[in-house]
Amino acid sequence: MLTAALVLAACSGQYKGMPREEVLAYQTNSTYGELYSLAEAYAQSINAAVKDDTLHPGMYADYGVTLALMGHRAEACRMLNAEMKAFPESRGMVNRIKRHLMPDLMSDTLFSFAADTAQLALWAYDSISALRPLASVASVIDSTDREWISRQTPTDSVEIPIRLSANQKREMLEQQQQEAARLRKAREDSIAAAKQAKIDARKQAKTDKEKAKKEKVKAKKQSDKKKKQLEKQKKKEREQLAAEKKKQQKQQAAEKERQKKQQAIEKEQQRQQQAAEKESQRKQQAAEKEAQRKQQAAEKEAQRKQQAAEKEAQRKHKKGGDQ
Amino acid sequence: MRKYLWLVMLPLLLTGCKGQKKMSLYDEVYKERPATIYIAPLDDRSERRPMRTLDDSIYNASLNIATKQLYLTASDPLVFNGYYVLGPLASAQLAATETRTGRQLRNDNISDYHSELGIDAVLFITLHNWSETPVSWKAEIEYTLRSTHTGNEVMHVIVKASKQLQTDFKGNPKPLGVEQDFAKKYGCDLETAQRCRLVEVTNQYVLKDLPSGRRSRGNSIERYVVSHPEYFNLNINPNGGVELIRSNEN
Repeated sequence: MLTAALVLAACSGQYKGMPREEVLAYQTNSTYGELYSLAEAYAQSINAAVKDDTLHPGMYADYGVTLALMGHRAEACRMLNAEMKAFPESRGMVNRIKRHLMPDLMSDTLFSFAADTAQLALWAYDSISALRPLASVASVIDSTDREWISRQTPTDSVEIPIRLSANQKREMLEQQQQEAARLRKAREDSIAAAKQAKIDARKQAKTDKEKAKKEKVKAKKQSDKKKKQLEKQKKKEREQLAAEKKKQQKQQAAEKERQKKQQAIEKEQQRQQQAAEKESQRKQQAAEKEAQRKQQAAEKEAQRKQQAAEKEAQRKHKKGGDQ
Repeated sequence: MRKYLWLVMLPLLLTGCKGQKKMSLYDEVYKERPATIYIAPLDDRSERRPMRTLDDSIYNASLNIATKQLYLTASDPLVFNGYYVLGPLASAQLAATETRTGRQLRNDNISDYHSELGIDAVLFITLHNWSETPVSWKAEIEYTLRSTHTGNEVMHVIVKASKQLQTDFKGNPKPLGVEQDFAKKYGCDLETAQRCRLVEVTNQYVLKDLPSGRRSRGNSIERYVVSHPEYFNLNINPNGGVELIRSNEN
C-alpha cells in the first residue's frame, strides 16, 4: 500500500511529455504540413499541461519557434515571452533565440500562457509558399469577427488572423482533412512507388540472373561441344597411335619370332656339330683306348711270354743243376 | 503497532543507503548543482551504408530516424529529474547561433554559455557506432556532461547498448507489443521502432540517476540502480527487461 501510494504520488506530479511523434515526423520530413501538425500538437499539449500545471520546460519556446517558422512572429514572440515568464532560468537562451528569429520584436514583452488553437486553426497554408489566410475564408468574415480580430491582433503582426464562424471552421476542418489525406496519399504513393521500385529491381535482378544463367548454360554447352570434339580427336589420335603401336608390336613380334627360329636353327646346328664332334672325340678316345688296351694286352702277353720263357729257362736251369 | 513501524522504517533506511552511494558516484554533479542543461547537437560518428540498392536507403533512413530519436529522448530523463532543458526545436535555433564547431565546444572554454545564456551544463552525446546481428541491434553511445562554470566534465559515460530480439519457433524475429505500438504510433517499420526503443531506454538508464534538479516535482522515489561507472554495457533482453554489465565488474 505504501509503495502504491508513493508510486501514485510520483506519477501525479510528472511533466506532460512533448509531442515527440510530430517532432520526429517534422525532423524526418520538414514540410509545411508536418510543421502545421507540430504546431497543432504543441498547442494541444500546452493547453492540457497548463490546465494540470504540468508544463514541460521548453514547451513554450518550442511552440514559439514552430510559430516563427510558420511565419507568425508576433504569436511566436508571445510564446517565447511566456517561456521566460514560466521558467526564468531560460531567459538568456530564449533572448538569444528571439534575437536570432525576430530581432525587431526584442522589446515586445507581451506573453500568453495558453495556445490559441482557434487562431491556429485559421492559419491555412499551401504547400508551395509560406502560410497565409485563404481568400475564400477572408471574404466571409462578419463584422463581429473583425472587431475580435482588431482586439486580438498585435499591430506589428504581418498576418491577418481571422476568426471563423462555425461553417467556415467546418470548411477549414475539411480543408485540413483534405490536406492530411493528400499528405497521407502522397506518403502512401511514395511507399507504393518504393515498393514497386523494389519489385521492379527484384524482377530485373531475376531476369538478369536468368539471362546470366542461360548464357552460362550456352557457354557450357559450347564448351562441352568443344570438349567432345577435342576428345573425339584425341580418341582418333589415340586409336591411330594404338594401331601403329600394334603394327609395330606385330612386326617386332614377327622379327623376334624369326630371330628366335634362326637362333633355334643355329643352336640346333651347333648342338649337332658339337654332338658330332663329341662323337668323333668319343670314337677317337675309344679307338685310342682300344689301341692302348691292345698294346697293354700285347705288352702283357709279351711280358707273360717273357716271364713264362724265363720261368722255363729257370726251370731248365734248375733241372740242369739237379742233374 | 511496532510491526507497522518497521514497515515504514525499512524503506527509509534503504533509501538512505542508496542516497549515500549515489552521492559518491555523482559528487561532481552535487558540487556543481546545475539547474539548466543544454543538449548540444548530436555528434553522429556512425557510418551509413553506401547507397547501392533500395534496401541500403531504407536501412540508412532507419538509422537516421533512430539517431534523431536518440537526441529527442535525451531531454526526458533530465526534465523528469528537475533540470531545465530547452526543447529540440529551440535547441536547434540556439545551435544555429553558435559559430564554434562541436569539437571546439567539447574542448574550449564554454563559460560564455553560463554568462550569456544562463546554462549551467552542456550535455554532449556522441553516437559512435550502429551494428547488428540477425537477432540483436547494437549502439555505442558516449555521454559527456560538461560544466559551463568550471569547464570540467561532471559526468562521462560510454555505453554499449544492445537489444536482443525475441524470436519465434522458426527463429524469425518477433517484436514486443511496445515496439509494435511504437511502429504504429510513429508510422515506421519495426526495425526502426526497435532501434528507437533501444536508444530511448539507453537514455533513460544513463540519465535517470542524476541527482534531482531544482525543478524536481517531489517524486523523490530513488530509481537508483548502480549503473554509472565510466563504462557499462546495457542489454535489453528478448522479453524487454534490461541487464547492465559494468566494466569494473568484468
